[in-house]
Amino acid sequence: MGSSNVSRKRLALQVNSQNTNSLTKIGGEFKAAFLKDLRSYVRYPAWLLGEFISTPLWFFFFALGVTLFSPTNLKKSTLDSFNFFYFGFIFIILFSTAVWGIGQSIRNEQQAGTLEQFFLAPVNRVTLIVGRWARVFLTDVLIIGYTTVIVYTLGNERPAMHNPSLFLFSLGLYEIGLIGFGLFFAGLTMRIKSYNTLSNMVFFGYMILTGALFPVDVIPIPFRYISLAIPFTYFIDLMRNAALSTSTILPASIEYLTATILAFSMLLIGFVAFNKIEEQARVKGTISAM
Amino acid sequence: MKHYARKPGSFVIYLALPFMFTLLIFGMGRFVSGGNAATYFAARTGTANILVYEMIGSAVWMTSWVVVEDVGVSLRNEQISGTLEQNFLAPIDRATLLVGMSLADIVITTVIFLISVGVAVIVTMPADFAGLLQAYLVLLVGLFPLFGVCFVFSGIIIRFKEPYVFVQIVNVLFAVLTGTYYPVALLPLWVQFLSGLLPQTYVIEDMRQIILANQNLVSLYGNIFVLVALALTYPTVGYGIFKRIEKKAGVTGEFSKY
Repeated sequence: MGSSNVSRKRLALQVNSQNTNSLTKIGGEFKAAFLKDLRSYVRYPAWLLGEFISTPLWFFFFALGVTLFSPTNLKKSTLDSFNFFYFGFIFIILFSTAVWGIGQSIRNEQQAGTLEQFFLAPVNRVTLIVGRWARVFLTDVLIIGYTTVIVYTLGNERPAMHNPSLFLFSLGLYEIGLIGFGLFFAGLTMRIKSYNTLSNMVFFGYMILTGALFPVDVIPIPFRYISLAIPFTYFIDLMRNAALSTSTILPASIEYLTATILAFSMLLIGFVAFNKIEEQARVKGTISAM
Repeated sequence: MKHYARKPGSFVIYLALPFMFTLLIFGMGRFVSGGNAATYFAARTGTANILVYEMIGSAVWMTSWVVVEDVGVSLRNEQISGTLEQNFLAPIDRATLLVGMSLADIVITTVIFLISVGVAVIVTMPADFAGLLQAYLVLLVGLFPLFGVCFVFSGIIIRFKEPYVFVQIVNVLFAVLTGTYYPVALLPLWVQFLSGLLPQTYVIEDMRQIILANQNLVSLYGNIFVLVALALTYPTVGYGIFKRIEKKAGVTGEFSKY
């Protein structure tokens, strides 16, 4: 009896130790992938410069375009619009992370001829991609912060934040969904040759249909159904609700539950799809085919 | 042209982008002002035809996007594939070679113009269809200064190697400064000065005047004169800059580095 207890304890210790080891291994892989991507990024300062110059310019470009339609005598309305577009701008930058940050990473490695080397390394592919996501998220945050300072300096406009903790929760759901979507997109690069065309179409579809830059109730009815079928619409709606106290599409509690389910479903689908596409590509020998 | 025939997706994107950007800006405008959006727009621009106004800006912007990106990327591809030196060693003038790279863009530009501006005019103001020809001529004249920009751009790529970053910056700068979706009068004065140095500012303004305000090339002679002057100045200065960089690259062996 006593020896069976001891062996059970040993087994439990072994299992715990294996869990700890695999967690440490994943953590180490993630850190290595993140640092690898950060080093590659800072090696090309032109990219850094380009992003820091062009991102605020895009913001002004859209803001000026909208000015033509705005009333001049309603200061309150302009301020609300500023916050609406400011957050829309953040959602767009973060979405581009999934499309160009995560998805494009596979294509970049393909072009540089290093994809096979990465896939031959004894690490999880998904960790490599998530490491890439972490680097892009970091630079996104820097760019958003920098643009906010510029906008505040030039226009004295300060972003509103009604409920920071709820915003962070919604942002977390959005990011989980984005990683899932990015994984799916990364898988597609191994299948589709015209990746840029597809990513541009998806990006514009996102901007027009998900309510990033204008609420979905502005969209005419048949197209609004498409908007309501896109998970990102709900993540965006919840983040705006948390930041600006805007009303939600569904009752708030139901929408939070729906968004949570959608976020984790997207992650799961992205993970499964990526692994499946990669497996098929390995069988067909098309991993490096562009 | 072969490149576009091989990758029709990128061509479709150039055709779709003007519509998408216009839709996006209009959707944002509708959100800000609801049913009064068109009224405020008309008060600021002098026309209630939002579609044509925005599509003209989009089409000109796409034109410069195509020309700048094509030259930049094709030169970079030559660098990577190791054929740039062979092309530069061929017994032809550099200007001919560089302009040759952009000649296909005249065809692309024409298609963008017909699909975006042409369709918008036919749908919303079919009676003013005749103005399209004059507007197209202005667009063609506006391509010449762009060749000058491309010369400088070619030099930058030989020197700094990274075309995509510069393409990205130049494209968004053109969009903001040339009044793609708004009159440049909305910009601060010092920015308006910079806008005045860019040929697309005049192309967009003239095309809008011709199509939406029933003006013609003769009545717009002031702007046309400036545009023609820029069409002569830009290529001359651009080629001079390119030759300087090329000469330096020949000494330092920059051509084959990538």
